[in-house]
Amino acid sequence: MSALAVLAALLAGAYLVAVLEGWSATGRLRPAGPAVSAAALLGRESVVPRRPDRVLFEAAPLLLLVSAVLAAAVLPLSPRLVVADLATGALFVNAALAYVMVALLMAGWGPDAAYAMVAGWRFLGQLLGYSMPIVMAIAAIAMRAESLRNTEVVASQAALPNALYQPVGFAVFFLAAMCLAFLPPFDLPTAPGELAGGVEAEYAGARLAVMRLGRMVLVVALSAAVTVFYLGGWLGPALPPWAWSAIKTLAVAAAMLLAGRYVPRLREAQVLAWWWKLGIPLALLNIFWVGVVLLVAE
Amino acid sequence: MISGARQGSPAGLRRLFAAAMARDLRAFVVPGAEVARARGLDVEAAGLGMTGVPRHASVLLVVGELPAALRRAAAVVYAQMMRPRAVLAAGAGDLSPLPGADVSVGLSQEELEEGVARLRTAFARGAFAPGAAGFEPEMLRARTEYACPMHPEVVQDEPGACPKCGMELVSREAADGGSGPHHGGDHGGANGDHGHGGHGHGGMGFMSMVEMTKDLPRSSDGLPMEWVEAPFGPLFPGLPGGLFLKLTLDGDTVAEASPSACGWASPGPLTGPADALAERLAGIDPLSPASYRVLALRAVEDAAGAGADERTARARAGALERERAASHLGWLSGFAYLIGHRWLARRAAELQLAVLRAEPAGMPGLRAAARSLARRIERTPLLARRLEGIGALPGGTGASGPVARAAGVRTDARCGEGAYRALGFEPVVREGGDALARLRVRLAEIEESLGLAAAAGSLDIPAPRTATGASGAGAATVETPRGTATLRVALSDGEVVSAELEGPSARHLALVGRVAEQRELADALVGVASLDLSPWETAR
Repeated sequence: MSALAVLAALLAGAYLVAVLEGWSATGRLRPAGPAVSAAALLGRESVVPRRPDRVLFEAAPLLLLVSAVLAAAVLPLSPRLVVADLATGALFVNAALAYVMVALLMAGWGPDAAYAMVAGWRFLGQLLGYSMPIVMAIAAIAMRAESLRNTEVVASQAALPNALYQPVGFAVFFLAAMCLAFLPPFDLPTAPGELAGGVEAEYAGARLAVMRLGRMVLVVALSAAVTVFYLGGWLGPALPPWAWSAIKTLAVAAAMLLAGRYVPRLREAQVLAWWWKLGIPLALLNIFWVGVVLLVAE
Repeated sequence: MISGARQGSPAGLRRLFAAAMARDLRAFVVPGAEVARARGLDVEAAGLGMTGVPRHASVLLVVGELPAALRRAAAVVYAQMMRPRAVLAAGAGDLSPLPGADVSVGLSQEELEEGVARLRTAFARGAFAPGAAGFEPEMLRARTEYACPMHPEVVQDEPGACPKCGMELVSREAADGGSGPHHGGDHGGANGDHGHGGHGHGGMGFMSMVEMTKDLPRSSDGLPMEWVEAPFGPLFPGLPGGLFLKLTLDGDTVAEASPSACGWASPGPLTGPADALAERLAGIDPLSPASYRVLALRAVEDAAGAGADERTARARAGALERERAASHLGWLSGFAYLIGHRWLARRAAELQLAVLRAEPAGMPGLRAAARSLARRIERTPLLARRLEGIGALPGGTGASGPVARAAGVRTDARCGEGAYRALGFEPVVREGGDALARLRVRLAEIEESLGLAAAAGSLDIPAPRTATGASGAGAATVETPRGTATLRVALSDGEVVSAELEGPSARHLALVGRVAEQRELADALVGVASLDLSPWETAR
């Protein structure tokens, strides 16, 4: 039952995020936009490029969707509303999202086209840059909660949300999440002006619809992860727990989508340099900081 | 029914899909969004979404007449679009080898909007049809050739045995993907042949890295890599339509860049009645028609020995400056799209359309808007870091216009003109010579040009008939938005017998290699785009 409820919430969230994304891309708010676009995509042809690696090409959109759904499955909307409250939940989020890189690499290699291939490799090149900070930030979260179980991570923030307890980790995780969801200004693998769609360029029709849905679910899952890890999840006064989760998740998603509208896309070399020279050291510093605070507090 | 209908009977769920498609039309603009804007069309306001990916587009919007090379490239894009698809022609003439336009309209915003409405009806009714036919232009048909596995030089069109070793020849798809010279028509999706040399390394048994890489080209860092040749253009969304870059990619570094332009291929008839030369010359470059109109008028006047009076010269300066402001804003919008700054792309496009439609009285208001836009751009985080040091060119490279002025060069054809002196013109000069300096020069020039256009008081281009029965030779120079253009004409009894045009983009095209090579792909594209090339004026 709760699995169905979470899935419905995930779809609703993906829809709202798609509306927001449409707004951030075109400047117009069209509440029915994603539904119309989805129906239009489903009615269109979806051909396979001339010499594809068929398995990779077909599997990539599905893998993107599945990895995002899996990550969302361990994130609690309320103390009861969680598909699987794993003892290793926080780490599982990271493990599931590792396949986003695989999916994009497959989508880049599969169609045998130059733009897509460059785009896929670009994303692989950034892998360590953003995934190391994500794991390190999660490590600091687990240190405070003394558990990797996501419901306990939320409960540990009853006094003070992690966004205030470890602001450096919050900033690092937020930006790394944007990078993982290849949202602007980190949209190097899709880069409309540079690579004419990049990894998405060869997908059309129903396959493109699945890919877009996967991307939206991914944004929702990452926003929910930020909510659970840093914003105290369902905790909040007056409203029911699930409502707090929903509000916080959508607010995080909106912030992620809006940030990219007013800045140019980053250069590949800059992204790498900043993650390696600044992001990873800051993530380590955050672990050290949380350790010191925990020792002093005890 | 639309010409690119998808096969199937229009019933049940398909009717719902068709209705959704009619509401969600996405256009791939040919030759490019910049041409649509320069002609005063606001495609998005007309209700069409815009995309730079052929596979995501349902409408091919053709704006203005196209040279043959671009029509062929457009046909390749159309072949890559998914059905249901349709062609919407705005002021376009001959479209072959594209199929005929489903809806044809003129070049005005109202007509475009009406055309989109008609297209919506056509999609809702005829997106699906039982007897839908395919579209495969001649140049996309695959050609099979036969090669010897041992002797790569042995390739023939017929099956048979190798004359050197007697082995049976193996069939494969020809590398050019088809017959005929298709000028880089392989935009985006169809570039299947440029991939990674086929998948898998079957039959190699033991994969020795030394064996595999010994014949590969060496990168500048010494690593052997498989180089990929990728076409960017002539209909690439981040570059001006008609500009074609063949980039040899070494990983994501550009190893070699060879540019060419798909403007009007044949030197069209610039000869003919001298009084009509302005009209003809204005037609060659949709991005700066006023500049070429003024250039022709001045050259003919010079040849006929007639000079323009002060009022005429002033009005022409006003028209030129308005065009400069609009052209720079158009460049800014395209550039912002390339670097992924979506807000800026929209805002610059809005301002460009406003400048194109404005009367002299509206200029001060637009100038204030341009100033606040420039301030906002200066404050944009990450932008300076994105552009600094990209596409750097020192002065004295033969460049002119904003490219030269961004490198500290003060040459400007306007400096010597009386009308400009009277308006108090001073050239905008910046140091640095990189993409950032070019952006800054253009931002300052937008503001300055709007001020000059307001001061000129008139934006019309008076065209007195001066050449009737005149003979002689003459030349004129105009500072177009992209640099200095020169036209030499010879008249005989009121007819142009020879005309020689030298535009700035031909010189700038030669700088593409210096700007792009040994750069990361995105930086190379930013460098090329910062030159603001017009492929239209270079072919003559």
